[in-house]
Parts: sequence; structure tokens; C-alpha cells
Amino acid sequence: MQGLLSYTIQRLLWAPVILLFVSFFAFALTRLGPVDSVDVLAGPQANDEAKERVRQELHLDDSIFEQYSVYMKNLLTEGDFGESVTIYRGVPVWDIIWPRMLVSIQFGIVALFFAFSIGTLVGVFAALRQGTWLDPLSISSFLFFQSIPVLVSLPFLVLIFVVKLGWLPAVGWGGPEVDIGPQEIALGIFSKHIILPALVLSLPGMAGVARLVRATTLSVLGEDYVRTARAKGLPELQVVRSHVVRNSLLPLVTVIGLSLTTLIEGAFFVELILGIPGIGQLGFQAAQSRDYDVILALVLVIAAAFIFINIITDIAYTFIDPRIRFGGQGNN
Amino acid sequence: MNRAILVILGVMAALVVGVGVIVVILVATGGDGDGTTQTQETPAGDGDDGGGGEGELRLIGGEPISLDPHVIQDAGSALYVVEIFSGLLTLDPNLEIQPDLAAEIPTEENGGKVVNADGTVTYTFQLREGLLFHDRKPVFAETVKASFERAADPATQSLVSEFFLGDIVGVTEKLRGQANEISGIEVIDETTLTITIEADLPSFLFKLTYPTAFVIDPTQVENDPNWTRRPNGTGPYKLKEWRFGERIVLEANERYHLGAPNIETVRYLLSGSSITLYEAGDIDVAGVALDDLERIQDPADALNAEYRSGNRLSLDYLGFNTNSPPFDDPLVRRAFAMAIDKAQIARAVYQDAIPVANSILMPGLSAYSETAQPPAFDVEAAIELLNQSSYKGADGLPEIVLAESGTGATSGPGTTAMLEMWRVNLGVDVQIQQAEAATFFQDVDQGRYQMFTLGWIMDYPDEEDILNIHFDSDSPNNNTGYSNPDVDALLRAALIEPDPGTRIDLYRQAEDIILDEVPWFPLFFDQFHALVKPYVDNYLIPASIVPRLRFISLDD
Repeated sequence: MQGLLSYTIQRLLWAPVILLFVSFFAFALTRLGPVDSVDVLAGPQANDEAKERVRQELHLDDSIFEQYSVYMKNLLTEGDFGESVTIYRGVPVWDIIWPRMLVSIQFGIVALFFAFSIGTLVGVFAALRQGTWLDPLSISSFLFFQSIPVLVSLPFLVLIFVVKLGWLPAVGWGGPEVDIGPQEIALGIFSKHIILPALVLSLPGMAGVARLVRATTLSVLGEDYVRTARAKGLPELQVVRSHVVRNSLLPLVTVIGLSLTTLIEGAFFVELILGIPGIGQLGFQAAQSRDYDVILALVLVIAAAFIFINIITDIAYTFIDPRIRFGGQGNN
Repeated sequence: MNRAILVILGVMAALVVGVGVIVVILVATGGDGDGTTQTQETPAGDGDDGGGGEGELRLIGGEPISLDPHVIQDAGSALYVVEIFSGLLTLDPNLEIQPDLAAEIPTEENGGKVVNADGTVTYTFQLREGLLFHDRKPVFAETVKASFERAADPATQSLVSEFFLGDIVGVTEKLRGQANEISGIEVIDETTLTITIEADLPSFLFKLTYPTAFVIDPTQVENDPNWTRRPNGTGPYKLKEWRFGERIVLEANERYHLGAPNIETVRYLLSGSSITLYEAGDIDVAGVALDDLERIQDPADALNAEYRSGNRLSLDYLGFNTNSPPFDDPLVRRAFAMAIDKAQIARAVYQDAIPVANSILMPGLSAYSETAQPPAFDVEAAIELLNQSSYKGADGLPEIVLAESGTGATSGPGTTAMLEMWRVNLGVDVQIQQAEAATFFQDVDQGRYQMFTLGWIMDYPDEEDILNIHFDSDSPNNNTGYSNPDVDALLRAALIEPDPGTRIDLYRQAEDIILDEVPWFPLFFDQFHALVKPYVDNYLIPASIVPRLRFISLDD
């Protein structure tokens, strides 16, 4: 366990360094692009002098390094993420971002849950039916879902469940409301609003999980202990439940982190199309209107989430499979 | 439960908790004050001293960038700001100037307007008696002066204050940080102030109706960093709630000095599809997009009886860069204009839902003329012009690109139709280039395109706001590089012409020359199409963004 501890510490120490790099590149990319926040704000009524004046007030005319060091100083010493300029002028970025994060996280987690639970069921089912037509049929039908981009599947689902059947609300977000400080947010997780975004986002992941589970289940099925269990005369259901599934699920832990990438990418489209006030929608808006501080805060928050999840996954993995050792202590 | 599942659930739980922890840590360090968007929690219908309106009107609107009247310049924000705040003067739904905080409009007849010996003009504004902010703080002449000075303070970061207030003596100095006060604004007594402007400019009073000239509560602005989320104004409605991305709720200001609104609460949804929500009965008024228009204009459609439309002071046009080949030759510009059959586009593409523009000035402006003569559709004449031009016909033209704002989707059917007309009528293949909005506007300003499509929405109903700012060769907003000394002379004379009749003449003469030389080719005027539920009375569709909610009422 000592190896694990030092490994974890090492990873944790690297995290700020990675974040520093991420922040600098994101910072430089936004500032070096054509058109700045002031150009976005400025209508035809603004002359060059007015634009220059506002740039000075916003310190956009300082060098990138100066701007970056001021930003980082405010962030690190005061936890100040800056202010929005072009989306919600003058509003602290953090007040804007975190209610939206809580919205995105809600359907992200439900999507993750859908993907893993349904994917696992299908994977085990397919493995147990290996050699029959049910195996390729179940896996390939989920591969079919994986191959359809969210941009295509979403309008289809809207057409079926919203327009034709009228079962689900068309747009927006809703549910019981809680006050979280900057503002109240709706808990869509307790309403019908969660179904469509979570379902759409989980579809691509399901096939991946199903295939992984199918492969590991097949290898587990060939293990001695399964044969022994069967030889003992245990009912097939019990063999599957306590010997096969249990062991074939271990590798899944590693893909949770990876699935998150897909979730965040997909969230951009889902939130834009369905009009959900989450970070995807905000990110798109911020990039379009060059709201530097908002973009930067989003990048940092998402990067931090990735790093954190990867560390958790790695640690979890050692618990599951003690054969894995870390940190240059040689192998077994 | 079995261990593997436990581990998986554990990881997922750790994930949730972990993100939660990050959130909590960041919130603990990040947040700035309580930052609530909720303003005073008055329960609906609590109308403390009666006289207020009743009922709730449900609308859909865009999200404002800010509710700070001094910095906003977009229609989306102005929609709310004109209801929450007010200034010395206002525009009524017919776009006539009316007194607001001021008791009357200063004129030479009532002694409120004096032309000084040095050519400057001094307006005297007498405030109404007993003016109050929403929080019942009184409004004095000093408050009005402080508001103007706040708008012209460089720290306010307003991009428009120079445009709307720059006529006032001393505003430029204040903006440049050379003065602490605006020398042209003087407080005479508690309810009287004078404003001196550089010259006798007929458009100045219109500029005072724009939000940049609105009155804010200086103590609130100074002490509350989050004041734009609970603004204290003097307008007919108060902000009750603004939940980002979801809704804005306005509540009637019973003490409003021009008369309390009829409707107690106005609720704006900030997202969703307008017509779907309307059909579901979730909103009372919906804007109608062109796609839905054909269906709704059909008398057989159930919604047809609820359809209304109104003109807007807005023009869609084709702009030619007069410095860029081949449009540096006026004959080529004319030829391209004459090859477009606007009536055909209006009929086939827009089902005649939007009026063809035959002038640059829109109906509703005093110098608008129905007899204006832009180049008319005439294919043979167009080809002839192209042959006479310095490019000697279609074959001599360089490659031509039409720029439009867009993010990579197919061009609208209107643009596609124009391209097809140039191809068929002139034998010229025009390419299309899309740029994302922010980049597009900058590139237009910097003259990077040969030709572009764009719209113009009037800030205030005065010809200056379209002709002077786009066609004067010195104007920073001249986006075509157009320069004609005769036009400059006419426009500059009109700007300071006190006689309305003569002024109209000057603007019409200038417009005629511009139409003839085609830096802009006017395409369509804009209209607002709406569905209004039958129980909503007096829902006016003004041509510009003016306070109008207080006129609306609901049947029981």
C-alpha cells in the first residue's frame, strides 16, 4: 500500500502543474484569436476611441503575460475567476458557472448510470448466448446506436417521444427547485426533463460497455472456477450472478473515466438542441461571444474534473486488482 | 451485494462526491458576496397600497447581456431596460417623443430651448413633482446629472455613451478622463437642470430617449456590486426575478409617474421554442418565424385569427465595398443590383411576408418617400451596364465573393436566390463566404469583403441614424468606403437643419444620390410577426424598442 500512497501523492502533485499548463494554453488561445470581447460588444455606434478606452479599462491592451499573471494571481490568492464581459456583463464568472455545472452533472450521472447498467446487461446476455444469432444481433444493434452521432439521434428521439407521442417535454429544463446561493436551480433528475438528455448521451457509451463486458464475460466463462461452480451443480443463474458477472465487471471501472470524455463532448450538442442551461450551452455561448474569463473557468473546471477522475480510477483499479503496482518499485 | 458492483458504485459515488467537493471548495473561495439574482420577495398580489394592475402576462424573450442601461446596446437587453428604467424623455408606441421624468419637452416656444451666441444650444429640463425610484428614494436634478456622469465615466466601460451623449458639451472630456464632471450639465435647483449641446442638432432629443441617457440610482450603483441583478429604476416595471437562462419576472410599479401598468406581473421565458410554447398555452404572445408564417397566414388555420404584424424600423441590404474590384465601378454595382428580382424573392421565398424595400429610409421616418427610385430589375439593362463598365462584361470580372454572417450552414433561401439570379441573368458565378458573427462584423468594418448582406435596425427614429452614420465619408460606420462630396454636404447640412421641411428635403436628395450610386442596395424591410391570444388587449407592436408593457391589459 505504500506504493499506492506515494503514487497518489505524486499524481496529486502533478495535477496543479497540468492545470497550470492547461490554463496558460487556454488563456493564450483565447487572447490570440481574432476579435476580442470588446469587438463582440461593440455595435456600430462604438468608434475606435471608445473601443480602445474600454479595452484599457478591461486591461485587454496589456501583454498576454501581464494579463495571465494578473488572472492567475486573482485566481490563486482570492479564488476569483473574473467577470463575464459579453454574456452576463459584470457578473462574477463563478456565479454563472456553478449553477450550470450542477445541471450538467445531473444528466451526466444519469447517462453514465444508463450506459453502464444497460450496457452490462446486454454484454452479459450476449456472452451467454455466444454462438447463437442473439449474440451478434444484440451487440450490433447497440453498435448501431453508437454509430449515430448525438446530432442525428437527438432530433429523432424528439420527433418520436415529444412530437408524436407527447410523452416528454420538448425543450428546456425543469423540476423541483433548490436554492444554491447564486440562484435556484431545477433538479431535473426528479422530473421527466432528465430522460431525453440522459438517454441520448448514454446511447454511444452503452455499446462500448456491452462489448467490453461481453469480452470479459467470455474469458471468465472459460475459467476453472466457473467450471467448478457448474460441476458443483449450482443453478446456472447463480453461477452467472456470483461467479461470472462479479469477475467480468472489474475492467469496467477503468472505462468510467474515459466515458466522461464522451459525456462532456455530447453535452455541448444535447444542451444546445434541447435548451438545457448547463455548461455545454454556456461554453458554446462563451466561445462565440469571446467571454474570456468564462471560457477559461470552464476549461479549468473540466480539466480539474478529468484529472481528479483519472486519479480516482487508477486508485480504484489497485483495489480491484492487487497485481497492479505503482511507482517504480519494480514489478512482481 | 457483490463486491465488483460495490466497487463500481463506489467509484461512481466518489465521482459525484469528488465533483461536489471541488464545487464546494471553489464556491467557498470563489463566490463574490451572496450574488443572488432574487430581488425583494414581494408575494404576487400583495399590492400594498392598491391601484396596481392584476394578472400575469407570459412572454418569451432573449437573455439580456446586462440590465445596466448605460452599457447595453443590443435590442435583447433594451427590451427589459426600457421597462425598468426611464430617462428625461421617452418614445411612445408611435415613436413620438414624450416627456418622461421631465415635465415637458423643452422647446423654443416654452422657453426650454435657447440658442446661445456661440452656436451651442441649452435645454432646460423641469422634472415632474414627486418622482420616485422603485425603492421610493426621490429623484432630483442632482440624480439625473450623476446618472449622465456615470454613463460618461470611462470606468463604466460604455461603448455607446460617446455616440448617444457626445453632443453634450464636456462629455468627450469626461470620457477621456480630462474632467470629473460634465461641464454642459448644470443643476439649477432641486428639480431643474440644463443640458448644453455643441450645436443645434435636431436628433439630440431622440438620443435622450435611448437607455444610455436613463437615470440610475447612484447610491445603489456605488454600493452594490451586483446592482444590475436587482436594479432600482424609475420605469413602469420593477425586476422581481432574473434567473439566468430561465426567466425574467417583472412586477408593476404602482407609483409609476405616467400611470400604473394594467398588468401586475410580466413573466418572460428566456429559452424554448416560441410557437410550440404558444400552442401549448404556456405563453400569451409568440413571435413567428418565417418558416411558420405560411401556415399561420392561411385563413383556414386555427391560429390565423390570432396573427398580428407590425413594421419595424429595420432594413436588410446588400453592401458593396466601393474600394474593392469589381465594385469600385458604380456601373458594376448597378448591374448587380438590377439583376435581382426582389419581388420574385419576396413571393417565392418569403410568401410576401416581408415588404420589398425600395428605399434606404423605412416607412415611419419623416423623410421616407414612396417614390424613391433604386435601380429597378431589368436584366437587359444590367448586362448592358456590365458591358459598359471598366470590366467590359461578365468575362472581365475578377472572382467575386459574397460574405454573410453564419457558422457553416447552408445560406438562407434569400441569398441562394440572389446567387442564382446573378448566375442566370448576368452569367456571373458568385461564391459565398460565411464568417461567424463577431468576425464578420469586424471584417465588414475593416472593408475586407467585396460584397456582404447585412441588416440595420434604427436606434432612434431619425434619418441621421442611418444616412449620416453610413454614408458620410468621415463616419467610422461607413462600411462601404462610399465617398461623395455632394452627399457629405447634404448630410452635414441636414444634421443641423432646424426646419423640419427643409431637413426632409436634404435627406431625400442625399438618399436619391446614394440609391443611384448603390453603395447599399436595399432589399427588404423587416416586419415583426406575432401570435397574440385573444384575451390580451392592446398588445402594440411598435416599430422600435419602446416601453409598452404598461399599455397592455388582460380580459378576465
